[in-house]
Amino acid sequence: MATTATPAGGSRNGTGPEWGGFEENIQGGGSAVIDMENMDDTSGSSFEDMGELHQRLREEEVDADAAAAEEEDGEFLGMKGFKGQLSRQVADQMWQAGKRQASRAFSLYANIDILRPYFDVEPAQVRSRLLESMIPIKMVNFPQKIAGELYGPLMLVFTLVAILLHGMKTSDTIIREGTLMGTAIGTCFGYWLGVSSFIYFLAYLCNAQITMLQMLALLGYGLFGHCIVLLVTYNIHLHALFYLFWLLVGGLSTLRMVAVLVSRTVGPTQRLLLCGTLAALHMLFLLYLHFAYHKVVEGILDTLEGPNIPPMQRVPRDIPAVLPDARPPARVLNTTVKAVEVILQSH
Amino acid sequence: MIQPQQPYTGQIFQPTQTFSPTAPQPFYGNSFEDEPPLLEELGINFDHIWQKTLTVLHPLKVADGSIMNETDLAGPMVFCLAFGATLLLAGKIQFGYVYGISAIGCLGMFCLLNLMSMTGVSFGCVASVLGYCLLPMILLSSFAVIFSLQGMIGIILTAGIIGWCSFSASKIFISALAMEGQQLLVAYPCALLYGVFALISVF
Repeated sequence: MATTATPAGGSRNGTGPEWGGFEENIQGGGSAVIDMENMDDTSGSSFEDMGELHQRLREEEVDADAAAAEEEDGEFLGMKGFKGQLSRQVADQMWQAGKRQASRAFSLYANIDILRPYFDVEPAQVRSRLLESMIPIKMVNFPQKIAGELYGPLMLVFTLVAILLHGMKTSDTIIREGTLMGTAIGTCFGYWLGVSSFIYFLAYLCNAQITMLQMLALLGYGLFGHCIVLLVTYNIHLHALFYLFWLLVGGLSTLRMVAVLVSRTVGPTQRLLLCGTLAALHMLFLLYLHFAYHKVVEGILDTLEGPNIPPMQRVPRDIPAVLPDARPPARVLNTTVKAVEVILQSH
Repeated sequence: MIQPQQPYTGQIFQPTQTFSPTAPQPFYGNSFEDEPPLLEELGINFDHIWQKTLTVLHPLKVADGSIMNETDLAGPMVFCLAFGATLLLAGKIQFGYVYGISAIGCLGMFCLLNLMSMTGVSFGCVASVLGYCLLPMILLSSFAVIFSLQGMIGIILTAGIIGWCSFSASKIFISALAMEGQQLLVAYPCALLYGVFALISVF
């Protein structure tokens, strides 16, 4: 006897969507890995569609569960004899429903498998992309390719955090250690995520062909120049050297990003707006990183040492050498030992 | 009608033994000698701990991929406490920083390795490997008790120890997760993490 075939999983409340197949995937709890190989378009529309679908399904679940809960509430109010058992059942069912929803939402949003394709890199690829980030390409008539990966940019941001921390530490500010870490992480990640989002928004206004992932990758690799400049100038304290590096290295990485953006934007006004903003923000950030933490260093040194140290000399705070000559030289012993000596000798 | 899937393997006309009083019962009061030794119950196996320590200390020794199948957090706990103790000897009471940085670092490495490897990895495994590879850092901080690490020798020694720690950690990770060719990619975030530990030791 032939039976009419029902659509797969399509027997929900009747208001369900016609894509029954998606429900099975969701309820199966599988990973949401999406093949990104062929996806070089500028719209994230497939993500939006899936997001809307899941939102609608969740709302239906909430309605169904709320209706079921209300029904049972009404029931048990009328039957006071069975109050204990029914209330337990109701509570149990509400807990189960809540837990199911929470785990579904968690597995959907906290599913880091979505990011898995962006971390699939080889060391040689990362190395070549790092070097390419310093070489501006003149070809602006054809959209230049941007590597859509997140490993390199993430590691560069963490490296910048480490370099900032090291620079703050060589100025001997031991007491503020916890705040230093938070400041460094907040500054670097805030710049990377914030400026990427802002430039992506401007790119949307200027009708440039770039996705958020590509913007994150581009700006992340642009931080390679910053890392080099800060690594050198936090250890060699010469203003002239810093300005030279700022212009050369910072300028090269900025030019590279600007060239890529110009190749993906149409119209002179739009190009000027987008690239001018990015160049200004990128160069000014490097200037800020050098001088903001430098000034902190100078301020602390001035207040601690008083006017004895001339203003151009930036050295870590050193305890005066009051040790007798028979002991090992001052720079070999630990700071604690030296401090103890100073205290003992002053009494 | 349900067809039997497996042939009947019992014995007809013989009752099967369901209770054997000689099997070890895990409740108190049965017999004290039948309880497993305390270390075995706690999961602390000194031989395995020693093997893993040797794997970390010999940077050129090839790591066995199966040594990380059991998650052992006793060794890493001891090493973290030893690290904090050597910092204490240098006058720095920073157990809180060691705990916080190791927790956040393990979480970060856990996320990264799950994203980069074909098979997933458990948090206990990551914490265990990172904890074992902290051992050379203890050498650095014990050196810092007597000598200051802020000169050129200190910089070279610190760089060497960081390299040693991250090389061992990446070696164990790629052998356990079968990620050939990506040792540098795993070693670099480990180097950043151990660099933060080194910052605590040096400054």
